[in-house]
Amino acid sequence: MVAETLVFLIQVWLGVGALVAGAFLLIGIGQVDEDAHGAFAFRPLLIPGILVIWPLVIWRWWVVSTGRDINRHIKAAPRRSHGIVTILLMIILVGTLLISFAIHQERSINIAPVKLDMS
Amino acid sequence: MTKKELFFIGYLPVPQKLWLLFIMTFLAFFAAFIFSAWAIGLSQNDPGDGRFRFDLGRQTVSGVLETLPYPMIHVTEGSSAIDAGETLMLSGAGKFGVEPHASNLSSTSISATGIILNRGTLRMLQISNPRRNLSVVENQQSISDPLDLGRWRLVGEICDGKCYAGAMRPGRGIAHKACAELCIEGGVPPVFVTTKPVQTHEYLLIGNADGGPISDTLLEKVGIYVSLEGRIEQRGSIAVFLADEGSLEVFP
Repeated sequence: MVAETLVFLIQVWLGVGALVAGAFLLIGIGQVDEDAHGAFAFRPLLIPGILVIWPLVIWRWWVVSTGRDINRHIKAAPRRSHGIVTILLMIILVGTLLISFAIHQERSINIAPVKLDMS
Repeated sequence: MTKKELFFIGYLPVPQKLWLLFIMTFLAFFAAFIFSAWAIGLSQNDPGDGRFRFDLGRQTVSGVLETLPYPMIHVTEGSSAIDAGETLMLSGAGKFGVEPHASNLSSTSISATGIILNRGTLRMLQISNPRRNLSVVENQQSISDPLDLGRWRLVGEICDGKCYAGAMRPGRGIAHKACAELCIEGGVPPVFVTTKPVQTHEYLLIGNADGGPISDTLLEKVGIYVSLEGRIEQRGSIAVFLADEGSLEVFP
């Protein structure tokens, strides 16, 4: 049940990502990056990434196309968070590994068989 | 040296001032990898001594085929590595059993050629091409009736008999669950590996209470410790556990 739910959620995520990728690569990328005007060969290469981070793509598309984009702001915030994100990622990776070792079925069970009848 | 000159690029020599950092980083990562390998290895279960016995070569035996709950052969004429009187479970190549070809030969005397898989007292014969390597022999024989060993409650793990016997290492546990489910669905005979032997049996071929293959309910519980009740029958040299899925309990 948990696995089915996870697979369904991933499918939904990737499905929405595909729609965003189609719209962004056909329409949006020219609004976001003037260097992309007339350049098409590289666009399919972006599809896998957009499938994964499509909310960020939508956000950036909206910010840039509505004139709210200020380079200093764009780059300052992620850069400020690099340190903490790096530490968090390390904690998450190591924590996931440790939790996977800790949360598992007890493997030292040693229960003798019981004969229930003789019939 | 300016900050710009300290910028490291992989294809240029390491700046003099960065050597110490470079060495320290390398040693730290090296130590971390060794520690991780040690810690991960320490947490794994013993994979056992199971393996394919290619060293014994292909074995050809004759015997009576029984197909339920899963195909097995009661050997009447042995080979260099298989004695007459032994009962061997049968598996196909990869994640497949010898069905459906074997079902047409149920209760008939056959010749079987394959490679032995062996882990302790668990023995299985892998038959890579059942159509070619399972054939009816002229001299038809019969097998004795199963011996009823009574109703039991057992604690242990449902494994696919082929991987547990040595096709995979490890061939049991949660890390092997997905593989085991595919193998069993493909027709590989599953075994119930008990936490303590039942009489002299450390593993039992497991089937459903009705005598057929295990149900989806049991299939979902492969690779984890469970408690099951059911009848045990001695069939040749193999104990067969006909488990009642209603008695299934999963250990925390």
